[in-house]
Amino acid sequence: MADLSDDDRKPKVGPSTDSIDQSLDAIENQLSSISVVQSEFDSDLDTEEASSSNQDKLANGLLNGNPGADSNVLEDLSSVWRNMSEEMEAPSSPSSSGYAAERGSNNASSSRDIGIEEVDGEIVEIGNSDSFDGVSDSQVQWLPGKRHGNEDDASSSWRKRKKHFFILSHSGKPIYSRYGDEHKLAGFSATLQAIISFVENGGDRVNLVRAGKHQVVFLVKGPIYLACISCTEESYQSLKGQLELLYGQMILILTKSLNRCFEKNPKFDMTPLLGGTDTVFSSLIHSFSWNPANFLHAYTCLPLAYVTRQAASAILQDVADSGVVFAILMCKHKVISLVGAQKASLHPDDMLLLSNFIMSSESFRQLVIEAGVAFEDTDVTVNGCANFSIFVLAFLHVANVSFGVARTSESFSPICLPRYNPMAFLHAYVHYLDVDTHLILLTTSSDAFHHLKDCRVRIEKVLLESNVLNEVQRSMVDGGMRVEDLPADHGSHSGAVSAHLGQPGHTREPSERFAEAFIGVGGPAGLWHFMYRSIYLDQYVSSEFSSPVNNRQQQKRLYRAYQKLYASMHDKEIGPHRTQFRRDENYVLLCWVTRDFELYAAFDPLADKALAIKTCNRVCQWIKNIENEIFLLGASAFSW
Amino acid sequence: MGMSAASSVSEAMKLCIFDLRRGQHEGQELDKILYFFPADLPFPTQLSVIGLSEGLITFTRIFSPEAPCEVIEAEKHSHVFYEAECDIWMVMVVEKSESEAIWRTAALRSVLKEVHSLFVMFHGSIRALLDREPSGGLTRTHLYYFIMDYLSDFLSGKKLHLPNFRDSLKERGMVQMLTIGREAALEVQSLVRVLESCAGCTQSYSLIMFQDLLVSTTLSPDDLVNLFTYTVMRLTPDALSAGASSWSYLRKGSTTSNASGSLLTSSTSVLDRYYSSRDTSPVGVRSYQVVRPLQHEKWSKGKDGFLVTDIWGTGVGSLSPSSPTIWLKQTEERMYLCAFQHRSLTIILFIPVTSVHNGEQGLPVVKQQILENASSKIIKVEEKLSRGWGGENAYHVSGYRYLLVDGDRYISRASPPGKVTTLTKDSLVAMSKLREEVDLEKSRAKCDGSDCEKDQEICIRAKNGAWVISRLTRGKELYMVLEKANETLLYASEAVEKFSDRYCSGVFSL
Repeated sequence: MADLSDDDRKPKVGPSTDSIDQSLDAIENQLSSISVVQSEFDSDLDTEEASSSNQDKLANGLLNGNPGADSNVLEDLSSVWRNMSEEMEAPSSPSSSGYAAERGSNNASSSRDIGIEEVDGEIVEIGNSDSFDGVSDSQVQWLPGKRHGNEDDASSSWRKRKKHFFILSHSGKPIYSRYGDEHKLAGFSATLQAIISFVENGGDRVNLVRAGKHQVVFLVKGPIYLACISCTEESYQSLKGQLELLYGQMILILTKSLNRCFEKNPKFDMTPLLGGTDTVFSSLIHSFSWNPANFLHAYTCLPLAYVTRQAASAILQDVADSGVVFAILMCKHKVISLVGAQKASLHPDDMLLLSNFIMSSESFRQLVIEAGVAFEDTDVTVNGCANFSIFVLAFLHVANVSFGVARTSESFSPICLPRYNPMAFLHAYVHYLDVDTHLILLTTSSDAFHHLKDCRVRIEKVLLESNVLNEVQRSMVDGGMRVEDLPADHGSHSGAVSAHLGQPGHTREPSERFAEAFIGVGGPAGLWHFMYRSIYLDQYVSSEFSSPVNNRQQQKRLYRAYQKLYASMHDKEIGPHRTQFRRDENYVLLCWVTRDFELYAAFDPLADKALAIKTCNRVCQWIKNIENEIFLLGASAFSW
Repeated sequence: MGMSAASSVSEAMKLCIFDLRRGQHEGQELDKILYFFPADLPFPTQLSVIGLSEGLITFTRIFSPEAPCEVIEAEKHSHVFYEAECDIWMVMVVEKSESEAIWRTAALRSVLKEVHSLFVMFHGSIRALLDREPSGGLTRTHLYYFIMDYLSDFLSGKKLHLPNFRDSLKERGMVQMLTIGREAALEVQSLVRVLESCAGCTQSYSLIMFQDLLVSTTLSPDDLVNLFTYTVMRLTPDALSAGASSWSYLRKGSTTSNASGSLLTSSTSVLDRYYSSRDTSPVGVRSYQVVRPLQHEKWSKGKDGFLVTDIWGTGVGSLSPSSPTIWLKQTEERMYLCAFQHRSLTIILFIPVTSVHNGEQGLPVVKQQILENASSKIIKVEEKLSRGWGGENAYHVSGYRYLLVDGDRYISRASPPGKVTTLTKDSLVAMSKLREEVDLEKSRAKCDGSDCEKDQEICIRAKNGAWVISRLTRGKELYMVLEKANETLLYASEAVEKFSDRYCSGVFSL
């Protein structure tokens, strides 16, 4: 690394880069001046050149089915490609992939971003935390995709971002950065690599560096290095968990066999393989601030009457018996039903990553609203093959769903479930039944598309006949459990299916029901919110947000408080603790961990302790009473 | 013998001090090292520790310019950083390998803080020393002896016992006070007045200790912490009878001081290494006159009751040892330290060097004054305090294991160490982790500049059924482990409430 000439290392940016360059140089010099340690820093940082040549190779390898392609992965995938191409009428060149196009469309929509920037832009100091309280954040939609792509480590705005994520290769090549241009961050990336390998050469492994409010968390996964630089007050365990998920997301797209690429060529440049997947990563990172599944390692279900869910499960089971490994019916990130083939079980983290991958990739959705243009089932476009990683066939067709006409796509794409088998691809058939409801069928066979399509048709028919889709819509409108509805003590309710989550008295005017953001007034004893995780089911349920947790900023703060509480309860060395009570200026938080479940509850900071405890008991009782509506029961046992 | 002790210790802990302003040119890297433990570690290894530290200080400044690197947590080691003076950094590297090696960063950092502020009290700031003699030889020599003497307090057998989870109900850098009745307080007050008049000058200060508990002082809080620590380390009756089974909040269990000196390798050769590798210094190490205030078994009680030592050498043209002097932060003035001991009572007077006529010749006059005017009062106070003294378990509250910290006044009180050791490892580890969490929140609040009003309560029921509790309110902290408590949260809360009402005048009561 000492051999690096300045020209090689300096990102080619404006004159203002001098200071940062000097400090980065200084760091490397500090590390490298010590000749004891031989670091094999890769001096080839001219990423652009390397990547484009690799890209060419890949493209050639793929298009020609070239046996001399870079690696086994490529061979695997090029066979996928060949299989797929049989079903394609007009394969477009990989360089004009759907993902690249998406990137463009995100840029195009960036004008809509403006109001959102600060909601999730996370600039320290700049965004006064309460300044956008007036905005009804629940209505502001977060848009995935790379932000601030023109920044680099010389920009002061870049340095002030609250939470950075980086993926780099062990030779220091940038693979992904949440903010800024990866190519311009080559020098910064090299510094991260230098830190990691310096410690590694000393026979140790660096996990965390703390500086004031900042934490730098490192994760090494073979040839892949991940780092997070954050001043969000999240615990080390939480941030590390997020890096694990980020890595998992990458494996989901590429499989772990990418390690072999690095074995063959340590300077291997991965960026082209992930081209266009920015949205997948950015949406995962966004979910780190709202989706409890990230730290609870559990999934959540859409509340449904037991019989309705049973009906869905029955038809999925039917399909699973015919060679489908997993059949999953979801509405947004909530599970309607999930069925695995014999002995196969789906880890909640895999589910999270899969569902993020699908929901963040527009190509799976392809909702075409151009009225008057009639598409037939057979219109086929090639979509989203970023060089080789993603081949998506989108068959546009007209879906005659009772509640409206929408053109939805079906896609067939290789994906890897990192917890299920990190080395191999499964093939995911994805079909949107309506705007939010989608069906995922996973199979090991790359030529099962037509079979899965038939399965889908059967499933869709049954779902329509048994009114499941309508029930799903209704449940979406009704929402989940509300703290206001917590039944009084010794509530002798029957668990009637017709009532909304065990609340017979709970009826809402249609107009009210369709109000998109329900804001409650809080529950008894100052109860604001709760989350309940069933340990055996690997599922959790959380209440709807209630006043005063009624904007995104508040929700994010509560989310972070839960996350901290979770980390504190689940200490690696001495955890899990049994109970925790925590009071500060924001909340009273109660956590209760038993062998069967974990309960997390947030109260008004002035809540009475004894009443809060009583209320938690009532919440648990309530959940027990309606568990067959809020959980998916009798799914194949999860062996984790 | 010295060498082998040092190298076996080296595996467990490294401690270095370096100056970012020195040795920035290639080939001169060694110049930045002001201190390194273990001293016999090869230079490349020393430089690699310092190189990593420097690299990360620079790196973290990119994002956190105000508060650069504080700690590196690696799989096998923790690196704890402390910027003792501007650009002068202390870094301690500890291993995590064995089962006792569960560390709390703040506790380790407080060791660094303590040794540095004690050093400054005796030798002045490191920067000032470097300015006085830019080659660094003087600074290195002083640091070497001082820190080696300091570390020997942590030595038991061949191992350094740094504060780990077992010390989670202790707080370094705090003063422990003796609770006294009104009548005794009045006696003490009148003694203080007499002492001040004996000193014969208005800028003098006094410190009165009973055993190793503070009775009364006129020092500022900063200076008090240092002098209290030093007194407990070297001057109290227990410290004087070194090695004897002694009771002390600070020292119990952590040290047997007879190991003194075993950390010191053939020191001159160690220090010489920094020079032989460079040829810039014409000054040999041996020429420095070294004062070692922390050297063991150097203080003793004279026949007249005054404590004497030859640490400060012998005065020019006299056979009697020179009088000890220290720097006070508050007045930035060099003071004579004049200590008198009667049974359990230790009385120290601090008199400005400039105010004593004829230099040291004037001190015997002061001593004579004390003997003549204060002896009877001293005897009386000692008797009174002894009678009221509840013994080493005086501050034990049955059923509770606690630590009470008043951060504003640098005062703490805790369950006696003998009682804390009855707790299980799991409870102590849980407390250590909880404190780490609270430490983080406190430091974040400090970064936000809103530390004064941090108000927080955490009650955890650990896996072993023990309650581990922390309470923060208005600059005061209470940590508590209740092992035999009932399982309900309400019971635990009530126990805290009772304790708060009874022993903390309700500070922690809701």
